[in-house]
Amino acid sequence: MNRFHLKILAAERMFFDGPCESLIVPTMDGLYGIQAEHQDVVIAVMPGKLTIHSAGGAETVAAVSGGVLKMENNEALLLADCVERPEEIDLRRAEREAAEARETLLQNRSVQESHQAEERMVRALNRIKIKRRKK
Amino acid sequence: MASAKEIKNHIGSVKSTQKVTNAMYLISSTKMRRAREELAQTQPYFDALRTEICRAFQHSDSRKSHYVAGHREEKPGDAYGYLVLTADRGLAGAYNQNVIQKALHLMEQHQNNRLFVIGDYGRQYFRTHRIPVEKSFLYAAQSPSVPRAREMGALLLDLYDRGEIQRLYVVYTEMGDGMDLIVHADCLLPIYPETFAQDGQEENELRFEPSADAVLARAIPSYVTGYLYSAVVESFCAEQSARTSAMDLANQNAQELLEELTAEYNHERQSAITQEITEISAGERAEKQHAKERRSHE
Repeated sequence: MNRFHLKILAAERMFFDGPCESLIVPTMDGLYGIQAEHQDVVIAVMPGKLTIHSAGGAETVAAVSGGVLKMENNEALLLADCVERPEEIDLRRAEREAAEARETLLQNRSVQESHQAEERMVRALNRIKIKRRKK
Repeated sequence: MASAKEIKNHIGSVKSTQKVTNAMYLISSTKMRRAREELAQTQPYFDALRTEICRAFQHSDSRKSHYVAGHREEKPGDAYGYLVLTADRGLAGAYNQNVIQKALHLMEQHQNNRLFVIGDYGRQYFRTHRIPVEKSFLYAAQSPSVPRAREMGALLLDLYDRGEIQRLYVVYTEMGDGMDLIVHADCLLPIYPETFAQDGQEENELRFEPSADAVLARAIPSYVTGYLYSAVVESFCAEQSARTSAMDLANQNAQELLEELTAEYNHERQSAITQEITEISAGERAEKQHAKERRSHE
């Protein structure tokens, strides 16, 4: 299978840098798959599940927060605040975060606060989902 | 003139102060190094993000985004936001004062100001001068972290999104070449595409999915986070650097003072000894005189 170069940069580290066969990212319109020789494009990535088939066929799953994916000249670059493998996710912490965010939402605070809480909850729930699926 | 005992006490207190300033000097330089390393780790991400935003701006679609300058009409009297980065503590030379002066200067030029402060020093300053502060972020100054920066960014961005502030200025300190500190006041929002440095080469136009506007909406919060984070780290490093040099100066002063005091102490001790000898020899002379007189009487 044809390959393309994939680079995933999270805020604090380089998550992935190497050849890859396919990449699936969550977008506003659902999952978006990319293979080698994809048209040049920039995509807004939503929080969700990221699937990488690296060269050799090994599959890597990760939780991704919102970000931007650029495909240009057969090189993909994914920029996201936070990318985590299931084994790096602390389930208990994620659950606590989700519970806290839900509580904030229920308290009917200002628009701004509930908006922030909503985003926190989406991130936490996404982590929980990905952690559970792996088990 | 102080007595020898008083000088001795003074020397003791200067020595213990010097121990403190020396410890602060060492701590500051270690903290500075660590913060620099952390910033270096996040740098590639935010640099790449900046490049992508720059690409998005080349796209005509991006003009619809309200993050781009010129999209909103500004009316006189619209509120501007100012984020002022100070330290949590003093003892850092003119570091805090420089930032505050710059912020005050900036705020004089506009009527409706909303002030956001990082660091306890700035909070105390504005409170004692009765300048209203919209919100102060505590403890963010001494331990820069990405989640903290994201939290601040989200709050400020939200105010901007809802049009409550028309512009956002960030006042922070950067270390220049060598040891000099430069205070910056940058306009973070709205973004002026011209300020994004172009590499010169015209790249082929990219397709944006679903739209350049949507991509920007995803990228801008991260960009703001990254910007704030690096500003906080820069300020933190500058603060530590200012403190390092202030403490170095304090150490030197203490050393000078010690030398002076030691000389004074030795002088005082010597004069006490001399006086004692003079007294003893005078007493002896008087005694001899006395004995002589007695003998002549007999």
